[in-house]
Amino acid sequence: MNIFCLRHRAMGCAEVGRILQNYLDGDLDDRRSARLRAHLDDCRRCGMEVDTYTQIKTCLARRSADLPADAVARLRAFGQHLAVPAPPEAS
Amino acid sequence: MRERTPPGVPTQSDAFEAYVLPEVDVLLRVARGLVDRPADAEDLVQDTLLRAYRAIGRFDGRHPRAWLLTIMRNAHINAHRRRRPELLRDPDLHPEQPTDAADAEIPDRFIDLTFDTEVERALRELPDTFRQVIDLVDIAGLTYAEAAHTLAIPAGTVMSRLHRARRRIRDHLDQVGIAPRERT
Repeated sequence: MNIFCLRHRAMGCAEVGRILQNYLDGDLDDRRSARLRAHLDDCRRCGMEVDTYTQIKTCLARRSADLPADAVARLRAFGQHLAVPAPPEAS
Repeated sequence: MRERTPPGVPTQSDAFEAYVLPEVDVLLRVARGLVDRPADAEDLVQDTLLRAYRAIGRFDGRHPRAWLLTIMRNAHINAHRRRRPELLRDPDLHPEQPTDAADAEIPDRFIDLTFDTEVERALRELPDTFRQVIDLVDIAGLTYAEAAHTLAIPAGTVMSRLHRARRRIRDHLDQVGIAPRERT
């Protein structure tokens, strides 16, 4: 048990460790989120864990911006062509 | 060919433009999580768009993303089942052994110890099924439920794999001295 957390009997480091990722994913109810935040206010170690996972999630999310613009443009054009086929050429 | 419909009735093309085209970016992100090569991802999205266009007349307009992810999942299974049977292995039933193969590709002395570089490296070392959930949820931005729908696995399994995958990334950061090391 982390010495920083001895006074947080309602939620200890072990419980925080189990639900930390649910918290970061917004998958905890308000009450448990509030208890977790109360723990984080005073527990440096768990606060660092949150920071680390937050950085990992942020880093991964940045990769979503890496979509190649040319591929997106080709696929949009392909979809548009399906939806609105070119009119037949005049003879 | 554009179909003939009475005035005021949405056409197949209208429905395709309304429900499918806005999802092209998401489809490409998801496809990049399902296959390794960018060209294969683009092919998978094209296949999905074609299948969606053919099926749009039977689509009820509810939950277009889930509908498209189902189409993509089926297209992906058809295209890759025979080529990549290992993707169907369940890591929860068949835990993968650690491998040095990924390490062998990277000269140790030239590793750039930045956060993003190490996250990227840890991501590459994950088993395919773990990396898929990272790709779908953390990178493509799907919900647990959408990722579960795409992979045809329970949402609880998505969450479990996701948490374990992130834990592996976090442990890797710890090993290379980037993650906080405080222990009391």
